Amino acid sequence: MTDVLVDLRSHLMATPLFSIALTLAAYLMGTRLFERLGRPGWCPAVLIAALFVAASLSLFGIDYDDYRRGAEWLMLLLGPATVALGVPLYQQRHHIRRLWKPIMLSLPPAAMLAALYSVALAWAFGASPEVMASLAPKSVTAPIAIGITEQLGGSISLMMGGLLITGVMATLTVGPLARWLNVDDPRILGFVLGVNGHAIGTVHAFELGPTAGAFASLGMSLTGILTALLLPLAWQLLGLPAL
Amino acid sequence: MPILQGFLWLLGFLLLGDTLVTLGHIPVSGGVVGMLAMTAWLMCRGCLNPAIAAASQPLIQMLAMLIMPGVVGVFFIADEFAGQWLAVGVALVLGTLLSVLTTFWLMRRFMPREGDRDD
Repeated sequence: MTDVLVDLRSHLMATPLFSIALTLAAYLMGTRLFERLGRPGWCPAVLIAALFVAASLSLFGIDYDDYRRGAEWLMLLLGPATVALGVPLYQQRHHIRRLWKPIMLSLPPAAMLAALYSVALAWAFGASPEVMASLAPKSVTAPIAIGITEQLGGSISLMMGGLLITGVMATLTVGPLARWLNVDDPRILGFVLGVNGHAIGTVHAFELGPTAGAFASLGMSLTGILTALLLPLAWQLLGLPAL
Repeated sequence: MPILQGFLWLLGFLLLGDTLVTLGHIPVSGGVVGMLAMTAWLMCRGCLNPAIAAASQPLIQMLAMLIMPGVVGVFFIADEFAGQWLAVGVALVLGTLLSVLTTFWLMRRFMPREGDRDD
C-alpha cells in the first residue's frame, strides 16, 4: 500500500468512528443477505455480518485489536440492553405465575446441566481452564454470557463462537427430537428452544407460533439469570481457577 | 423525549446493579442485577413505564449488532486455541444434544398436560 493510503488508514482508525461504521454497515448487509437466503436456520445473520467485518479487516490490513478498541463503544450499550431484557421478562409474568411449579422443577436442573455437560466434555477431552470457562455459558443469551465469561476468565471470542454453534445446534435438533419423543406442545418446544438455544432458538420458536415464542423468551431470560447467579458460585465451589 | 428518559432509567438500574455487585462482592455482572432490580420494581408497580418500554425495545432489537464485535473475534483465534478444537467441538455438539434431550425429558415430566394453547 502507498504511504498516502497507510496514513489515511491510521488517521481513520484514530477514532472509533470507522469501526462503528464498519459494524453498522456489515450488520445491515448481513441481515439483508440473511433475508435473501430465506432465513437459513444453520447460518444466523450475525455470523454473515461478522464474516463481512473479518473480510474487510483483512482487506484493509486492519488489526482485529484496533477494530475491537473502536467497536467497544458499541458494546458499551450491552449494559443498558441487558437491563432492558427485564421488560420482556416482566411481560411474561402471567406465564411465570401460572406455571411456576413446573418451571421451578425443570429449569434449574436443565440450565445447570447444559453448562455441566459442556464443561465435563471439554475437560474429558483435555481442554484448558480458559476454554472450559469460555464454553460454560454456551446456552446463555449473549449480553448475559459476556458478563459470565468475564467473571470466569474465559475468552469472549471463543464464547461467542460457542454461543453461535449452540444456538444453531439447538435449532436444528429440536424438531427431529420432538418428533422422536412425540412432543407437540408448543409450550415445551418453545421452552426447550429458549433454554438451550438462547436468542437464536427464540427466533426459531417465534416462527413456530406466538406461544412457542413467548415460552422461548421466558426460558431464555430465566436460564440467563439462573446461570449468571449460580455458575460463578459453582465455579468457585469446584475449585476451578478464575483466570 | 420519552426515549432519553427511558434510557436514563436503564442506566440508573445498571448503575444500581453495579453498585450492589461492587459493595456486596457478588460474582455476578451488574447488568443482570440491574435487570432483576428493574423487573422487581416493575412487578411492584404493576405497570410498565412507557418511557422504559420506548428505550428498551430498540436496544433489544439491536442486541445482535451490539455483540458483533465479539463474534468477529471468532475468526482470529484459530492459533490461540490450537490443539483444543476437538474438545471444543465435542463439548458444543454433543453437549447441546444432551442438554436439549434433558430439557425435553424434564419438561415432559413436569409440564401439566391440560394447557390453554392459543396458537
